[in-house]
Amino acid sequence: MILKTPEKFTRQFGKAESKGYQSPEVWSKVTGKAVYGIDLTLPGMLHGKILRSPFPHARIKQVDTRAAEALPGVRAVLTGAELENRPFGIAVEDELPLAADKVRYIGDEVAAVAAVDLQTAERAIKAIKVEYEELPAVYDPVEALKDEAPLLHDNFPGNIAWQREVERGSLSAAFTEADLVVEERFTVPAIHPAYLEPIACIAVNDPYTGITLHTALQSPDAVREIVARVLKYPLSKVNINGPVMGGGFGGRVYGNLKVYILSALLAIKSGSPVKIQLTREEEFTAGRPMIAAVIKMKMAVRSDGTILGREADIITDNGAYSAQAPWVSKTLSERNDSVYRIPAIKTRVRLAYTNKVPTGQYRAYGNQAANFATESLIDIAAKKLDLDPLELRLKNCVREGDTTVHGLQIGKCGLAECLQAAAKEIGWDRKKAGRGYGLSAAIHANGSLVFDKNFRGASALVRLELDGRITIFTGEQDYGQGTHAAFAQIAARALDVSPVQVTVESKQTKTAPFSTGALAMRQTTVGGKAIQLAAEDLREKIFKAAAELVGEPVAMENEVLRSISGQELELAEVAYHYHSATSGLRMTGEGKFVPAESDYDESGYGNISLTYSFASHAVEAEIDQATGELIIHRLVAVHDSGRIVNHLTARGQVYGGAAQGFGMSCFEGYLFDQGRVANASLADYKIPTALDLPQIDPLFIEIEDPAGPYGSKGLGEIVMVPVLGAVANAAADAAGVHVTDLPLTAEKIYQALAGWECEL
Amino acid sequence: MKKQVIIFQLNDEPVEIYVDPAESLLTVLRDRLGLYGTKAGCSKGECGACTVLLDDRAVNSCLVPVGKVQGCKVETIENLSRGGKVHPIQEEFVDKGAVQCGFCTPGMVLSAYALLKENPQPARDQIKMAISGNLCRCSGYKQIEEAILSAAKKLARQGNSIT
Amino acid sequence: MSYLTVSTLEEALTSLSDSSGKARVVAGATDLFLQDLPHSLVDLSALPEITVVEEKDGLISIGAAVTHTAAASSSLILARARALAEGCSAVGSPQIRNIGTIGGNVINAAPAADAAVALISLGAEAVLIDVNRETRQEAVENLYWTYNRSLVDSSKEILLRLLVKPCLGGEGSAFTRFAVRRALALPMVNAAARVKLENGLVKKVRLVAAPVRPAPTRLIQTEELVINQPVDKDTLKRVEVSAAGEVEVRGSQLRCSARYRQHLVGVLIARVLKIAADRADPGKAGD
Repeated sequence: MILKTPEKFTRQFGKAESKGYQSPEVWSKVTGKAVYGIDLTLPGMLHGKILRSPFPHARIKQVDTRAAEALPGVRAVLTGAELENRPFGIAVEDELPLAADKVRYIGDEVAAVAAVDLQTAERAIKAIKVEYEELPAVYDPVEALKDEAPLLHDNFPGNIAWQREVERGSLSAAFTEADLVVEERFTVPAIHPAYLEPIACIAVNDPYTGITLHTALQSPDAVREIVARVLKYPLSKVNINGPVMGGGFGGRVYGNLKVYILSALLAIKSGSPVKIQLTREEEFTAGRPMIAAVIKMKMAVRSDGTILGREADIITDNGAYSAQAPWVSKTLSERNDSVYRIPAIKTRVRLAYTNKVPTGQYRAYGNQAANFATESLIDIAAKKLDLDPLELRLKNCVREGDTTVHGLQIGKCGLAECLQAAAKEIGWDRKKAGRGYGLSAAIHANGSLVFDKNFRGASALVRLELDGRITIFTGEQDYGQGTHAAFAQIAARALDVSPVQVTVESKQTKTAPFSTGALAMRQTTVGGKAIQLAAEDLREKIFKAAAELVGEPVAMENEVLRSISGQELELAEVAYHYHSATSGLRMTGEGKFVPAESDYDESGYGNISLTYSFASHAVEAEIDQATGELIIHRLVAVHDSGRIVNHLTARGQVYGGAAQGFGMSCFEGYLFDQGRVANASLADYKIPTALDLPQIDPLFIEIEDPAGPYGSKGLGEIVMVPVLGAVANAAADAAGVHVTDLPLTAEKIYQALAGWECEL
Repeated sequence: MKKQVIIFQLNDEPVEIYVDPAESLLTVLRDRLGLYGTKAGCSKGECGACTVLLDDRAVNSCLVPVGKVQGCKVETIENLSRGGKVHPIQEEFVDKGAVQCGFCTPGMVLSAYALLKENPQPARDQIKMAISGNLCRCSGYKQIEEAILSAAKKLARQGNSIT
Repeated sequence: MSYLTVSTLEEALTSLSDSSGKARVVAGATDLFLQDLPHSLVDLSALPEITVVEEKDGLISIGAAVTHTAAASSSLILARARALAEGCSAVGSPQIRNIGTIGGNVINAAPAADAAVALISLGAEAVLIDVNRETRQEAVENLYWTYNRSLVDSSKEILLRLLVKPCLGGEGSAFTRFAVRRALALPMVNAAARVKLENGLVKKVRLVAAPVRPAPTRLIQTEELVINQPVDKDTLKRVEVSAAGEVEVRGSQLRCSARYRQHLVGVLIARVLKIAADRADPGKAGD
């Protein structure tokens, strides 16, 4: 069932959102009053600037800071020599706050200064003299794995930051039984999240209360722990206050740790607040894009279209340091295996160090990069077998009750319905001449049960204020994706109040409940469940206190609290009664949502998430044969994200995610020249403008999933996954040839059409 | 360059500053005049977050040396919602879900404002063209376009002039 | 004196001569922050005589400080020099077009500046005046020195206006470009054409493509090829081959390879010639 008009469901989430309830923060944003990280200043604040390596790989022989220190207005100069040589990291500990002996990429942090203004800080940076001894460098991840390649880190032999090999089922049997084996090599470049606000942080050091970082993060709790560990501060003496966040998309889960650590160190050394703000160029050259990947993939298929097995050899490009790249590599290497019933798989994935910008994470965590490969390969197989790509997908796609090849337990699942709806809507049965059509399918987890085993769930507090309003305390951050609106709606529904009565507080780590962060598409399903439980707990407390007050049982109906004899009560009265009875407490509901532990074993087999979201996208496209230009006419995005909490913001997620998928498909990607980022600006790293995007039609298959609050589940990350496969397949259908190297530029498509040898 | 006195009309009020005329209008607005509603996304004319109106035309304030605004009229996002009132364009941005992270929003609203001043009933393609210098990474632009269409209709219904 | 917005030409010239080479003129000033700042700037954008588009002595006169937005929406330019309107609408973004000027597009001497490509295809002439009050008139393509460097010394000389012969009966012009993105993008190739047809045959033609050399480049051999030919499928095929064969281009990592760019020159020149020829229908009053 497809519901284009949401009235039926929105009513269940309260009255105020007949047009789509939104957080009150939108009003400060639309009037220009919202305060972002770059807008903050504090009295006495200094400006910090980082000196970066001009070489891709070099030994630091000497750093002379005397001239910089002598400049009037310079308050602190910091080099690696002053700091303890103890690496930190996220997935792998391989970074230092400032390079001590070696630099490993153009942009590596060598020194930092704090000065009274930015111009002085910039002058001071230029005044620092560094003597380098250049070392041979390696830029290609495939080359980096060869024996003769220069070694980046002594303790990571072979330049392997992380690797994994996994085999499930009998792959040799699959390939023996196969009627057809298809094989391709796919490449995906590094992608920057390109949030519009550059990262900025003000660090304040107070001898009594410790370090406060004013910076917007998707996972402030995780960053807080790392910063405390690096500074050797007790955890309670590091706090993060989040201003409004100008976009995240995974890029601000850990953000740029160097910026937070160096601003803190400069604040400690100078005794004043220090602000470091990255320039747009630094965002590209020293930010944390998602890994590039080379994916060699082989698939065994029976002539009736049954997928028998798949083998992949994947090399991902870590750049100089690891951040979350091992985890992204893992998701990239395996999540797509669970879209279809594939009985046997074998995957090797190696994460290679190269002398390039270090990597991090981006919306969909590599699942979209793999979707490009797996979904292209399915269409290649369908063509060779002369089967309908839709039928082939329907024949193999996972269904409710399945356990996938990696042990994922598929609960509520509308994948087949998504595929059928996407095909129907794009006109699969009445294709226009001269147009190409592409389909794809995707699965994405809803939070991880294994990422941090000890924090599989979420918690929240929901408080009744003395005026009868409701406040939610959560560690889950909202940066425009609509999480807090959804939370307000969920709490409002549990309490039977209007969402406009609900305020969400999340910005300070020292008071908010802990959260693993806005990642892994966990907020609505896991975070929202905690809100629901907390609100239900509060509701029981309200009923109890109200019953005490009036001497008979009470209930909420249509937003009115009423006793059985019909006496109406204001929530404020109940709040005040409790407040005075406890000499000052405010009535607070606690929500602790702790999912059962996963059966995940050492090989990585097991159910890694509470539940899964599904999607299928369909694209109609055209190729200009003379230039190779790919013209996309329409994208239909069909999603099973359970019951949709808020259709307005859900549509916004689909449009935005589809736009990012479109950008990654058609023109985004890092370009390097001898380790230097060649397109380090928003003019040269091109994200789509309003003129570039096709018509996008979101559709929701609303299958209630009991795993999430009121049947809902996650949407924000999966929206970008199937775009890649659908665009690639539509392009290939229109061109008659598959381009396997992202992005699908006109030039590459033309080269394929003209049969040119690849020159890029 | 040597500092000089620059006098211009800012949000309907005269402003006089003593400043290096080669400094960008963006940094003058934010760092000297405290108008932080104008956002700095790239400072090179590549993202449109710093869009303001200069004599009724949308421009990238990061590319305008402040010496150039001598005697001119400058309008920023702060001028659209004075005295607690919110402009219909802003209402429609909220109503249509056009605001996500919000960082591009002030510039986007001002591009819409400039468009509607000149063309009160724009077609969707004209809207896309008018905001093509304003990058947004969150929204895919669709709800922004809907908001501008809807604001145009609302203004026409109210018989209001844009200002 | 450091930043001076002048209101008369006399004031501008006096300022330049007074600062003996240390000042230079600007109009839109959008590229100011990309360069080293001179000692002082003379802003011409408020000079009434160079901010108008008018028909004068049978020519279209476009003031050097006319913005791209103004040129793109000028009814005179739309009716009689359509390539220029199209070139101006392709520049950067609305914000940049609102302040950047036609004169700046020429004097900044970018190899593929959209307005300049259109102007050269139209056969535009530039009118300049120097600090000695001497004026000269020069074809736009002769103002280029090398990549991003004009022969016009902005500390001594002011570009006043661009003169274009209007496209009248039987004449048409067009501009097109090919870029990765539809806004905020430099082109892989841009191309413009002006053509005059008589009895369905090409009598006069100017074909320009960029970036080919430091200046937008006329494709002389291809122009000769189409003279006295009808603009039909067969001719366009030959134009495509000839245009691609006539140019030697450079590749760039950010945009495209040399081979593909060369191919695009052929495709775009053929396309733009076709559009210009369609507009040159003698039944119409011009393009």
